[in-house]
Amino acid sequence: MELKLPLSVISQVDVARLLRELNGLEDFFIGLAARKPGTPMQPPRLSRLLEQIAVDNQHNLLEESSRGDLSAKLGEILNKAPLLHISFAAEPSGRALESILIWLRQNIHPQVLLAVGLQPTIAAGCVLRTPNRLFDMSMRNHLKAQEPYMVQLIQGAADGSK
Amino acid sequence: MNTGGLILVIGSLLAATAAFTWLSFRIGTSSNPKNKGKKNAEVVFEQAAKEDVEHIFNNEFREELRNRGRLHFEKIIGENAMFLQQDLRQTTSQLNDYMRAEITRTLQEEFKKYQQSIVDAKQLALDSIDKTITTIEQQREFLEQQLQTQSQAQKDQIISHFETQMASIINHYVLRAIGNQVDLSDQLDYILAELESNKQSILEDIKRGT
Repeated sequence: MELKLPLSVISQVDVARLLRELNGLEDFFIGLAARKPGTPMQPPRLSRLLEQIAVDNQHNLLEESSRGDLSAKLGEILNKAPLLHISFAAEPSGRALESILIWLRQNIHPQVLLAVGLQPTIAAGCVLRTPNRLFDMSMRNHLKAQEPYMVQLIQGAADGSK
Repeated sequence: MNTGGLILVIGSLLAATAAFTWLSFRIGTSSNPKNKGKKNAEVVFEQAAKEDVEHIFNNEFREELRNRGRLHFEKIIGENAMFLQQDLRQTTSQLNDYMRAEITRTLQEEFKKYQQSIVDAKQLALDSIDKTITTIEQQREFLEQQLQTQSQAQKDQIISHFETQMASIINHYVLRAIGNQVDLSDQLDYILAELESNKQSILEDIKRGT
């Protein structure tokens, strides 16, 4: 069963952070087993993201096997999940990015990860880079494609002014 | 005394001389047979004739004749001088007229030749100028045509370049003008629509990539 990624997990950085948290939790439980009785131990604070992914995928983080399974799946996602680079003209809002991510995970791949970048020159829209291709869905590209029409308009204006 | 009187006087003198000569010759011939008396008579006649001649043509008379002759000669000389002067004046005047006419005619001929030469030179110059003008006009037309062609080509090139650059400039301007002003939320529908249109390509590329 594939791991269901929450929408908060966007990039490989998020997955790597989850793995680090899981490793820290694992270390804590190893230390807990090795401690002397009566020695106080401070459990690591879990992030809301880790809790959410555990809940969404019905993993009990207190169980070692469940943690191992989750860690293995996250590792697999980190190595094998499709990674798409998407660039915007400005820093995208969380809600907008979430909408795009929903669409991608519904239509492209359920575990797709995004690397968000900035390209101010595109003005609007976005540029999506897959492993082998580049999909320029920016206004810059749209305007460039419409250049002949603009030239035609300029010519018309110039002819009209003669 | 005029010339007629002088001729009359001289004529009478010559007639008297001739009468004496004839008379002495007749006397001589009629008394030829007589000897000595005849010779004495001849001598007497001769002496008488000489005396008469000396008596008539004395020094005063000769001086008078000389004066008259001198005066007459001077008069003739004066008249001739006057005639000569008149002739000279007339000749000079005629010569002047002739010279003037000749010089005028020569000058007119020379002027005509000179004028003709000027006209010929002028015509040559005009022909040369016409040829030069024609050549220059041809060159001008050729250059004008060439210039117009080049100008038109350059104009077209500039216009084409301008139109292309204008489109780029407008694009650039729009991009810069829009900049970060458009909220991503407002673009969401456009982006999702674009993603939807590229969905198949994205899927294929991801499958190929994985």
